[in-house]
Amino acid sequence: MSNRLLAHLGKAYLGLILFFLYAPILVMAAMSFNASEFYQLPFSFSTEWYERLWKNDEILEAAWRSVWIAVVVTVIATSLGTAASIALFRYEFPGKTVLQLLLFPPIAIPWLITGTAMLIFFFGIGLDRGTPAVIIGHVALALPYVIVVVTARLATFDRTLEEAARSLGASAWKVTMAVTVPWILPGIIAGGLFAFAVSFDQFVVSYFLSEPGDSTLPVLIYTSIRKGFTPEINAVSTIIIAVSMGIMLLAARYSNFGGEQ
Amino acid sequence: MKKLLAASVLALAAQGALADEIRVLNWQGYGTDLDWSLEAFTEATGHTVVHEYFTSEQEMLTKLRTNPGAYDVVLVNAAYTAQAQEEGLIGPVDAALISNFADLDPNLTGNEDLNPGGALHGVPWTWGLTSLAVNAGEFPDAPTSLSVLWDPELKGRVSIRDDGLEAVQFAAMATGQNINDIQDMDAVKAKLTELLPQITTFWGSENDWNQFMAAGDFAVATYWSGSASRSISKGLPITFVVADEGAIGWLDGLSIPASSTHKEAAHAFIDWMVDPEFYVKWDAEGAPATSNAKAAAALPETSFNRTVLGDPATVAKVQFMRPVSEENRETYLKLWQELKAAQ
Amino acid sequence: MSSLSARQDRIRAFTLLSPAYLWLTVAVFLPLSAMVFFSFLSDVPFGDREWHGTLENYQEFFQTSTYATLLWKSLKLGLMVTGISVLIGFPCAYVLAKVIKGRSREALFLLVILPFWSNSLVRIFSWAIVLRGNGVLDFAANAVLPWDVRINLMFSPTAIVIGLVHSYLPYVILTSYLALQAIDDSLIEAARSLGAKRRTILTRLILPLAAPGILAGAVLIFVPVVGSFMEPRLLGGRRGTYYGTVIEDQFVAVFNWPLGAALSFILLAVVLVILGAFSPVLRRART
Repeated sequence: MSNRLLAHLGKAYLGLILFFLYAPILVMAAMSFNASEFYQLPFSFSTEWYERLWKNDEILEAAWRSVWIAVVVTVIATSLGTAASIALFRYEFPGKTVLQLLLFPPIAIPWLITGTAMLIFFFGIGLDRGTPAVIIGHVALALPYVIVVVTARLATFDRTLEEAARSLGASAWKVTMAVTVPWILPGIIAGGLFAFAVSFDQFVVSYFLSEPGDSTLPVLIYTSIRKGFTPEINAVSTIIIAVSMGIMLLAARYSNFGGEQ
Repeated sequence: MKKLLAASVLALAAQGALADEIRVLNWQGYGTDLDWSLEAFTEATGHTVVHEYFTSEQEMLTKLRTNPGAYDVVLVNAAYTAQAQEEGLIGPVDAALISNFADLDPNLTGNEDLNPGGALHGVPWTWGLTSLAVNAGEFPDAPTSLSVLWDPELKGRVSIRDDGLEAVQFAAMATGQNINDIQDMDAVKAKLTELLPQITTFWGSENDWNQFMAAGDFAVATYWSGSASRSISKGLPITFVVADEGAIGWLDGLSIPASSTHKEAAHAFIDWMVDPEFYVKWDAEGAPATSNAKAAAALPETSFNRTVLGDPATVAKVQFMRPVSEENRETYLKLWQELKAAQ
Repeated sequence: MSSLSARQDRIRAFTLLSPAYLWLTVAVFLPLSAMVFFSFLSDVPFGDREWHGTLENYQEFFQTSTYATLLWKSLKLGLMVTGISVLIGFPCAYVLAKVIKGRSREALFLLVILPFWSNSLVRIFSWAIVLRGNGVLDFAANAVLPWDVRINLMFSPTAIVIGLVHSYLPYVILTSYLALQAIDDSLIEAARSLGAKRRTILTRLILPLAAPGILAGAVLIFVPVVGSFMEPRLLGGRRGTYYGTVIEDQFVAVFNWPLGAALSFILLAVVLVILGAFSPVLRRART
């Protein structure tokens, strides 16, 4: 098979996977324009859910709160996680394996248990419920993901580059910022995207640690399933995805973070 | 009525009660958080209301345990009132501060589960049934027996809630037992073993239930009466059935946490919630049955709560759920998990 | 001299590590230690509940076959979801890293993760609309195929696997991408010009170099899938009971935190043992 044919096949395959990834998102968006409250087919077009959403301050406020909490969490988790990954990669010291193993409990133990544990512990040490507590919890859950992802990128890093820069007299900080970070930038971005996703979809921790009346979008969705949520939820999710997609495509247009050399 | 209430609140205000923010802990969308009602409440009393929600009774208790002082009114199912009182989570309610109290059904206000230690700890608010609902299109004549769940022709079209206690109680009724005093667990187990292959999926919330029923996945499923009334009002073609073997009855009360710092405003809110004017409006949107006799009498003739739950013959079949010991709960859950794991 | 630089290294490592690990200690490790403590108690020490130390919660795991059966079922599910995700995700990452060039690569890189930013519950209910009989998939298949088909995947293990693969596929795509993209193209060119076959290049060059990325992705999928409960519960129908769902029940249906905690720590131990068993493979792959 010629290389060009293979390349085309590869692109078609990539398109297929993207279609799979977006299938439920397309359905979600379609249902936000479907008149049936029970997500019933056949489809009948309506903008009712968007009109209702526009008047629903509770959902809009919760969505906005979720977005900015996720942004704060992403920034903190990505910086702390990247620093830790560099240290784990660069230095040898006793107890390193233990530190690496410690990343798995927060991923392996269902969030319900971790969330309950945080609730009792924070209550025990007198940390009040509220947005700071929520952010502390989210960052902790996002950190292991950032560290694992950034470490995976660092594993491909050629140490001799750092050594070369150092032998030329650059300080450790300078080496990190000028050599290491640019190389692992795609990993940092990917870690940040995961951190955002972890926070943005986090239900249990927000549910236990947020103040009454200050709920986030996932909390609103999970607590409303007993009564049944309406396609307003689809409408707000569709808007969020559409806006994020716009921002991401713009970012991709004007920057270089995919690791293109 | 509203005027009277406003007057009584004004009297309270005169005693020095100021406008407070009260915090209510309840299921989401369960009556206390209706916008129009809260606006009117704030207008009449000056108090504002903030909500927090729970998604299971265990979570409600956990929240009360770990957040003393955070809540002023909490919805507690009568089967849990005694436990909450024993743990010191809720305090007594002063009936004298509730102007509508005299209109509440004395059978309910006197319910022993709401009066642990001989003192009222929960104002009876709503009650309802867990029974069956069927797809009306497939059942021109509603079934009269729980045995419809075991009907081989409906294999793969049946659903019950994913809840060990409820599953055991349904099997107990189907085998002619008292749900509060199950003697023959072997019969229950055998009955549930037969039931599981019938099931398409377990439902967990009104949300799944409505979607699965609307999509045709269910022909018959257990359901809550208040939810059935709401689903019907939203246009889902279902019939709510109380079988001859019975249905599970439950009673929800409004309680005041022992640690509440706004007790007067909390009483005013509870009073507002049992007011007939509020209930009749809520009922039009789909509500469980009321504890207020005057409110029940004021419902329109066609109301679900009047036609279905207002029928004494129906009520006679109901087995009201009593508190369940933690030990029994765990036994039932284990049985349920064992049966599900074998699927 | 060397001991001095070793000391300096340790100080630097400490400075870089302590913010992240202090944060994890306060928000995760200490709270989870409280849970470890609970798992050895007969009851949660709230108010005046009676409690004493016991090993019963751990013994309970072995007393019936229920928990072991479900744990095995969950491990198999984890392996299957991980395997499928790697098999379909790696080629996708390869195309992204080595075939697509220029700016569109960055856009695609971001697009892979975007579905993740939707709410998982909304996503699961959307899958239900696709997978059920008379659903989107059934309708689409009938529109394309000339003969009648009935597709109803809802409430089956297949539905669970589809839902989980969808949720976790981006992990392995992105981590494999990060490793693949770091492989210098000239290295592949050199191998090719020396006459190496495609298969040889893949197995001797690309796969070993991409191994850290693939493994990181596999771990990030396997570990949470074993404890998952929402997808099984909503998509799996009556067969949707897994280890994660019985843990959840101990917190939601009954107030038995000690047993729920014990079951989770058994899960954690098993997962760590499996990762440990694989770690020699992992280390060999790196060198």
